[in-house]
Amino acid sequence: MAVIGKQTRKVDGLELITGQAKFTGDYRFPGMVYGAVKRAGVPAGRLTGVDAEAARAIQGVVDVLTAADIPGPNLIGVLPPFDQPLLAANEIRYAGESVALVIAETAEEARRAADAVSVSIEPYEPILTMDQALAPDARKIHETGNVTLSKKLIKGEIEPAFETADVIVEGTFETSFQEHAYLEPETVCAVPGRRFTLYASCQSPFHIRGHVAANLNAPASSVKVIQASTGGSFGGKDDVATEIGSLACIAAQRLNRPVMIAHERKESIIGSNLRHAARIRIKTGAMSDGKIVARQIHVLLDGGAYASESPFVTMKTLIHAAGPYRIENVAVESTSVYTNKTYCGAFRGFGVPQVTFASESQIDELAEKLGIDRLEIRRINGLRAGDPNATGQVYDQSVGLLETIEEIAKQPAGSEQTTDDRYVYGTGYASVAQGISNGAEGVDVTGASVQMSQDGSVLVGIGLTELGQGSRTVYALIAAEVLGVDVDSVSVRLVDTDAVHDSGPTVASRSTTVGGMAVHKAATEVRTSLVSMAALMFKTDQENIELRDGFAILKMDDSARIPIREVATAAYWTGFPVMNLAFSKAPDANFDDETHQGNVYIAYNYGTHRMDVRVDRRTGEVDVLNHFAAHDVGRVINPLGLEGQVEGASLMGFGLAHMERIRYADGIIQNANFADYAVPSIKDRIPTTTIAVEDPNPTGPFGAKGAGEPPVAAAAAVFANAIADAVGVRFTRLPITREDILDAVRGRDDG
Amino acid sequence: MRYLKPSSVEEAADLLESSQGMILAGGTDLCVYMAEGVVDPEALIDIGDLDAMRGIQAAKSDHGDVIRIGACTTIAEIATSEALPTCLRQGAQAVGSPQIRNLGTIGGNVCNASPCGDTLAPLLTLDARFVLRSSGGTRTVESGDFFTGPKQTVLGPGEILEFIEIPAASCARASAFRMIGNRKGQAISQVNAAVSLTIADGRMSDIRVAVGSVAPIPLRLTKLEGVLDGQPIDDVSLAAIREPVLEGIRPIDDVRSTATYRQEVTVSLVFDAWAECVGRASGEGECR
Amino acid sequence: MMIRFHCNGKPVQVDVEPNARVIDLLREDLGLTGTKEGCGRGECGACTILLDGKPVNACLLLVGKIVDREIVTIEGIAGEDGSLHPIQEAFLDTGAVQCGFCTPGMVLSAKALLDENGTPAVEAVEEALSGNLCRCTGYGKIVEGVLEASRRLTEGQDRGGG
Repeated sequence: MAVIGKQTRKVDGLELITGQAKFTGDYRFPGMVYGAVKRAGVPAGRLTGVDAEAARAIQGVVDVLTAADIPGPNLIGVLPPFDQPLLAANEIRYAGESVALVIAETAEEARRAADAVSVSIEPYEPILTMDQALAPDARKIHETGNVTLSKKLIKGEIEPAFETADVIVEGTFETSFQEHAYLEPETVCAVPGRRFTLYASCQSPFHIRGHVAANLNAPASSVKVIQASTGGSFGGKDDVATEIGSLACIAAQRLNRPVMIAHERKESIIGSNLRHAARIRIKTGAMSDGKIVARQIHVLLDGGAYASESPFVTMKTLIHAAGPYRIENVAVESTSVYTNKTYCGAFRGFGVPQVTFASESQIDELAEKLGIDRLEIRRINGLRAGDPNATGQVYDQSVGLLETIEEIAKQPAGSEQTTDDRYVYGTGYASVAQGISNGAEGVDVTGASVQMSQDGSVLVGIGLTELGQGSRTVYALIAAEVLGVDVDSVSVRLVDTDAVHDSGPTVASRSTTVGGMAVHKAATEVRTSLVSMAALMFKTDQENIELRDGFAILKMDDSARIPIREVATAAYWTGFPVMNLAFSKAPDANFDDETHQGNVYIAYNYGTHRMDVRVDRRTGEVDVLNHFAAHDVGRVINPLGLEGQVEGASLMGFGLAHMERIRYADGIIQNANFADYAVPSIKDRIPTTTIAVEDPNPTGPFGAKGAGEPPVAAAAAVFANAIADAVGVRFTRLPITREDILDAVRGRDDG
Repeated sequence: MRYLKPSSVEEAADLLESSQGMILAGGTDLCVYMAEGVVDPEALIDIGDLDAMRGIQAAKSDHGDVIRIGACTTIAEIATSEALPTCLRQGAQAVGSPQIRNLGTIGGNVCNASPCGDTLAPLLTLDARFVLRSSGGTRTVESGDFFTGPKQTVLGPGEILEFIEIPAASCARASAFRMIGNRKGQAISQVNAAVSLTIADGRMSDIRVAVGSVAPIPLRLTKLEGVLDGQPIDDVSLAAIREPVLEGIRPIDDVRSTATYRQEVTVSLVFDAWAECVGRASGEGECR
Repeated sequence: MMIRFHCNGKPVQVDVEPNARVIDLLREDLGLTGTKEGCGRGECGACTILLDGKPVNACLLLVGKIVDREIVTIEGIAGEDGSLHPIQEAFLDTGAVQCGFCTPGMVLSAKALLDENGTPAVEAVEEALSGNLCRCTGYGKIVEGVLEASRRLTEGQDRGGG
């Protein structure tokens, strides 16, 4: 490999490091006005009136919109049921619900005027817990009831298996809501004209285009969405970007002026989706030799007020709940429910962190009960190539779980421990598998274009978005490798829905795998043209030509070389196509809808982590001494990018496991700011060491598999297991805060 | 909103009296309140650049030799000043972030009177006095009498905190500060604690212990001080201080922590601060 | 009111309300949009600029406070010829940039540190950057970036791109 696997700087880093990159909030257009929404402020009720008189009287205010002003259906959502209004018309389903949009000359005036809008709401008794939502006589939050989706996975027969089991462990585990906390709050800017141009901080521009057009009551082709530089997303800039993107376009149409809507931090927390809180009941039966014979799992997900991606997260938890193990008998039931809280949707990991915490905690409990080493029990049960997983899907290669376990097993022991009885020490292990691609969540198609100019430079276009994760660099490396050019000669264009193909959403760790395949395919077609041309120029057969180091080279004589740019120029004038638009379609998922047995994902990323912790018995403070994260990524495209993904995702998992909790009181979020919602600071970072296992994946470019999500789940689970090991108490709820740890230490000391 | 920049503290006091304005020092709290719409002052009276209100120097007051700190001295300057006792430097270092410490002032931290303000417990243990300026002149208030509730003080409507005075005698004692927050960096204290004491012949005297975030105002733990006074250092243990600490505090559950956690951690932080004092105390004091 | 100050080495004179926020002055009046607003409350550090060489939050700084003072923003740290500052080069080489929204503030906090302490220990780097949140990187590569910049600056040579 010439460039694949080599440490590579981010291809779009220069503009970011100099501050020149244009994020949405950095755009300025003549006559631009600003929007701000009035939010309900109560979690449930019937909207009986909106009085904007006082708001309209405020200096600078140019317009106030309510639900009646939406030309289209006033609905958004990522998938059916589309159940979320842009502006509430009748029902208030959560406190952050948008009720009116105020447009003013400045952002501050808009904000002040939005505060001045007066809304009349007849409050209902809010439904704030899953139990309240599922009570037989519960008020229906939506007409369809309070269950968003409920699905079952059935493999084998659990009951007889549990009867034969030597040991059974059971428990219930809970996780809290988590906020994405990307540093750039959601921002959009709509510019009217013959067609609309929407600049957006967003994750899936084509998805936005569809919703904006529908709500404008206009064809999709009348809307052009440009993804500006986007300051992080992690799953969070889908629904909300369609909401404010649609609102900005509607206002821009009414006023014939550019409209910017930029969320404040508080709005970013209360008014856009969170990670689902979960309650997971799990039961595992095993033989005395450690072999797991059955697992039964009930997953309940608190999805808040709207469906958003709850149905997909439900499916993801269903398929992942049993863990990366070879278990013959599995029964899972996953259910997502509506409550009167901020809606929940996609968040890096997509349900897998919640179920992995439950599953891996119980694997440790099982190991303890059986007296088997914790890595050994994962070895005994871990999936190998050829084993059917929970959905019965069999992969005959790229199942590298065991290698990740062995990599972890050979890491050096933890650092020296003091004998001071103030501190206790512990080590945890956790394994994870996470499906790559849309899989059970839908058809998976990506379009990508590769074109070579006559000077040999390359332009790649794809509809998947760069959100900081380094996907542009991955695409540049793939194109450079195929075309035999330097990565610096490859540019990856911004996502502009006019200029690139709809590539589906940028989700599910699919950018490298599915997107990379499309780039690979398009580049390969261009390569064929170049090789054909070079063969004519050398007067030889195509198989004698290779493209390398910016040259077409005769294989038998390394000194016989023609610069690629000359080949490209000749190819152009000869009529060989030097541009190609290719589509990559992942094999369709194919499974039984009742049992979810069948083929679901094109591949899984497998991982095993180890974490060593020191716990202060007096304060519950935790120091993470070591963290090893081994993942089977198929093939490393850019080690620098991979490490960045694993380190960042791991700290996010650590935050979920230890520090981050959305605090509600009566349906109102109490800590909607960065002072009280504790995102890890640089002093809270953990010392992650990334270990790459490469078991090539036949469905990915050069064998690669995505890696952006899986470390979240593994890092959260490994933290819980490390703390349990240190303190000697099993924790059943995330986050495990200092308060929780101290309570446990004291309870244990007193007992 | 008018923006007024007086050229002396006297002028600032006159402006404060004659307007509906608010004093702006560093602005790190006030700008947040304005952004939240909590306050909307008619005028801002910016005293941040008044040289007479900045800096740290030895001075003579009616009460004897003191270290005088201008109220507009930045938290960052406090945190790095060799002239100040350890607990106050440590407390200043615990405030916010580097960015906040470069803008924020000690006077602002005091007058904002948040129960979790990290310089407050240190000032209490150092017997600090606050010199308040109004158009009618100055008056001096003991730090222990200054705070009356969360974000409430004895400051009158036309009064400005001009100086903080720390008696030279306080500087002769060993001192230390500890805090714990909801994360390790840029954290707001869930609890903080400061201790200041003198050790001679293995026995403690002149003990001051103060804690923050465990009551509506920063508190001296006088019961604990009484228990420790005159005792040999070898007799102090976590167990020994536990009851007197818990008797002195009234923590609550809130968005940042729980009452139970605050109780436990207060004991630990007081003990750690005490242990650091003892480790360093050699009778020479700390001010260099 | 006419306000005079220095920005990125050049004198600036601008008619603006003294109670406006410096972040708005920079972004709206001067077009220096490299300074980012992540929270508006001094809690994230994305708006970090240097005021007389020290990092401060531009969202908590009022224009009246910068009269006759020197401000440096991300736009002001590259060389006259457009060459990157060694901290910028080091950040790119170590993978310290992901989404890039926290990056300008991180770079300026790092610059303030290295200007004062050319060879900081890891703990000093963490302390200096503790007011700058990043949600992408996990911070490890940012610390590496600062340490790498320190090495290059003390060696007196910048190896440049990589």
